[in-house]
Amino acid sequence: MFIGTDKLTHTYMPGTPFASDALKSITFSLEQGSFTLLIGSSGSGKTTLIQHLNGLLKPTSGKVYFDGKSIGPDKSALLSVRRRIGLVFQMPEDQFFSETVFDEIAYAPRNLGLTENKVEENVIKAVERVGLGHKDLLDRHPFQLSAGQKRLVAFAAVLSIEPEVLILDEPAASLDPAGKRMLFDLLSRLNRTEKITVLVSTHHLDEIAALADNLVVLNEGRLKMAGEAKEILARRTELQDLGLALPQVTEIIDELAVRGLPVSTDIYSLSAACKEIIRLKRADQE
Amino acid sequence: MSRSITLGHYLPGNSVIHQMNPRIKVPVLIIILAMLFAFKSIPGLLAMLIAVLLLFLVARVPFLYLLKGLRPILYIALFALIIFLFFTKGGVVLLRLGPLTVESDGLEEGLFVIIRLVTLVLFSLLLTLTTTPLSLTHGLGYYLKPLSRIGLPAEEVVMIMAIALRFIPTLIEESQRLMRAQVSRGADFESGSIFSKAKNLTPLIVPLFVSAFRRADELALAMEARGYRLGAKRTRLHEDLIKLQDWLVLLIALLLLAAVIYINI
Repeated sequence: MFIGTDKLTHTYMPGTPFASDALKSITFSLEQGSFTLLIGSSGSGKTTLIQHLNGLLKPTSGKVYFDGKSIGPDKSALLSVRRRIGLVFQMPEDQFFSETVFDEIAYAPRNLGLTENKVEENVIKAVERVGLGHKDLLDRHPFQLSAGQKRLVAFAAVLSIEPEVLILDEPAASLDPAGKRMLFDLLSRLNRTEKITVLVSTHHLDEIAALADNLVVLNEGRLKMAGEAKEILARRTELQDLGLALPQVTEIIDELAVRGLPVSTDIYSLSAACKEIIRLKRADQE
Repeated sequence: MSRSITLGHYLPGNSVIHQMNPRIKVPVLIIILAMLFAFKSIPGLLAMLIAVLLLFLVARVPFLYLLKGLRPILYIALFALIIFLFFTKGGVVLLRLGPLTVESDGLEEGLFVIIRLVTLVLFSLLLTLTTTPLSLTHGLGYYLKPLSRIGLPAEEVVMIMAIALRFIPTLIEESQRLMRAQVSRGADFESGSIFSKAKNLTPLIVPLFVSAFRRADELALAMEARGYRLGAKRTRLHEDLIKLQDWLVLLIALLLLAAVIYINI
């Protein structure tokens, strides 16, 4: 197991009338190099789970593993975990505090104690990786950027530590469709060509479902389903019962199938849907 | 950080004390505090202490909260006790420590002051634990209203206090979230000298300010969109009617205070 948890339970404000179990005995694991989606409606415990994987929250009971070792309270071990697992928070641009984009992206590598030359190298590489490769952008104030650019800078600020694992909490929240497309392309590229293990939490399956190898479904702090994406996406009624909407294209294709068209039912992206419809059209003409 | 807010923080409940009108609760607390200072001997104060403990039982506040609430005054109480023990003279000599003596009057006065202090804190804690900050502000604000005649913008002051109280938990939550976010980027808020610690806080303070100002902006717009205007007459959704039992509590408190002053114990 590369990353995983064993009977992980987390209680917020234990011992008070406000105590609530955010996670209840979660056991799951991720393979190295996989692309996994963590899905669940709001309040299902996604953020709490993610923050455990980086050692930011301590389990009330149970264990968290990374690369064969349990993530414990030991500080230097925690630091090395954080160096290898990059965590992008929800609305990560809210964390900006530097006066230039460069300093913002350089914050994490500087904290890790890299030399200034290496920091600069990492920053430039990170900016290129997210596709913001203009030199003058680095000298601008982060608050002057557009929403989409800010999000990409926030990603670059995590990629600058060159993590092996990238965990993202609702990365597409409040982005426009073009921004989302750009983001998902980036994630897919990082995973497929750079072999970075990716875990994305979301409650919105549109566009991203087709990218995932695996799916983990949370509901009210419990693990409901985990396994291969295709397999779990096929369990439509169960997903809908948990308040999770399928990708819109899937719903359209399903509707076509209900109307008696011979369409394949495992279609989760717009491009796959287009191909399928063209295939149908051609078959029809022949 | 989350631990410190539990001090005096409102605990939801449904007891008689929770349901009391804040406009009555506030003056009743003041009467009780006056009563604490009117008592001149320990037995009276002990009765008050027992009374407040019983009231905590009625309000169903876990015992742990009392201890937590008393923790901040622990040192003051100890300090006061020591001062009284060694510096108030009179009565029988109880203990001799070289040139220092502890005499019975000192012990008595020390205990008297400590019981008074503890009881005072417990009564105040009872108020804040059983009243939401919002209704507490409205309770206090009611008594500010007459001041608007001499030019004090009472309504606005109450609104400012209510908003400030409302956003304390939000800001604490936000700062915790930011702290975690920066820690995941390798920040270290714990080690280092005081100077470097202060410097390390920049990644926390700047975003916190940015979000606080943005929130303030959005809140101002939202309030205007819902028709909030300075100086306009406002009505409340939940009218805080003062019930018969509230008046009774106020009356009893007043009578008790009068009795204590009259009997002079």
